[in-house]
Amino acid sequence: MRTSDSDLAQLMARAQAGDAASYRALLTACQTWLARYYRGRIAPHMIDDLVQDTMISMHAKRATFDPDRAFLPWLAAIARFRWIDQLRRGYRADETELPDTLSVGPHDDEVGARIGIGRLLALLPNGQAEVLRLIKIEGLSVAEASAATGQSESLVKVNVHRGLKRLASLCESE
Amino acid sequence: MTMNSPATIDALVAGLRPVTPVRPRNGIGLMLVAAALVSVVAAWRYGVRADIAAGSPHPMVVLRLGTLLLLGLATGLAAIASARPAVGISRSGWQWVLAGVLVFPLAALIAMAWNGSAVAMALAPDYGIACLRISLASALFVGGALTVWLRQGASVNPRRTGWLTGLAAGSFGTFAYALHCPMTNIVYIGVWYTAAVGIAALAGRAIVPPLLRW
Repeated sequence: MRTSDSDLAQLMARAQAGDAASYRALLTACQTWLARYYRGRIAPHMIDDLVQDTMISMHAKRATFDPDRAFLPWLAAIARFRWIDQLRRGYRADETELPDTLSVGPHDDEVGARIGIGRLLALLPNGQAEVLRLIKIEGLSVAEASAATGQSESLVKVNVHRGLKRLASLCESE
Repeated sequence: MTMNSPATIDALVAGLRPVTPVRPRNGIGLMLVAAALVSVVAAWRYGVRADIAAGSPHPMVVLRLGTLLLLGLATGLAAIASARPAVGISRSGWQWVLAGVLVFPLAALIAMAWNGSAVAMALAPDYGIACLRISLASALFVGGALTVWLRQGASVNPRRTGWLTGLAAGSFGTFAYALHCPMTNIVYIGVWYTAAVGIAALAGRAIVPPLLRW
């Protein structure tokens, strides 16, 4: 059974007051939601780490949740922020060390569609979204992405850079 | 070291402490107190224009003070709002205020184009340097107070928050100077006030984001 947004908001409000049982229930629900949120939006082997990073950020910044507001848009903003951060770090760290497993499965559920990552990618120009998807999500190299899209290798790199920058500025966009 | 998810949840639950939700009104209060403080200090140190003291300020003084106050409030409130992130929240109102404020430098450019020979006198570099010095010193204080408050927040766009913090600090800092500023010509205001707010905005963009990292 899925927990509704208002249930999650209430759990968080109680967690802010120090209720450990509510917090455990909230984190367990968030873990499932985040794993689904990220599915298909990052290499599968990175999902667990990203979910944990996001939960740690959520813990550190739990005071920024307003109990009078919806919970999932708050969590989604943090999740997007962490996702973009992960994409950026991955690009710097292992441009040639790419994941060889890939499953771009079904994306966001009905609740997440409005605040999902797919929505964010759709706000990018096609050229940027395409190379980000190929390199950062599907794990292609710059050369392979260049061959697949017809963009030159330098343009692919520029588009990845610009795409990440634009994603960061659109983090809270619907 | 990466923990597995149950271990992460256990660790986070074990580390749970009660927290007070971040209240934007506290940030707004701090920003306004800081802005009021620098205005009072600047007025005490450098004096207030005679027309303001007499209660009948020159129309240009009303215009510039009102504009700076509006820009400071719009950008400061947007910076403070960014401390509580959420997908789907639009915070673009400040951009319209900023666009409106840009009428000042635009008018200055037009005036300079039509009255080139009078530009040097209108610019009054000695006063201009004092404008930058007082405005930026005041902005530093307001920006510092705002940044300290913002550090407890969770801005998911630190660059934008940096710009906004710099713009707010620069506006309030220049407001403090404008209470004293003896000049009323559009060239002077369009050039020096814009420079003061612009430098503060650039400083905010450069200094604030690393301080908001989380």
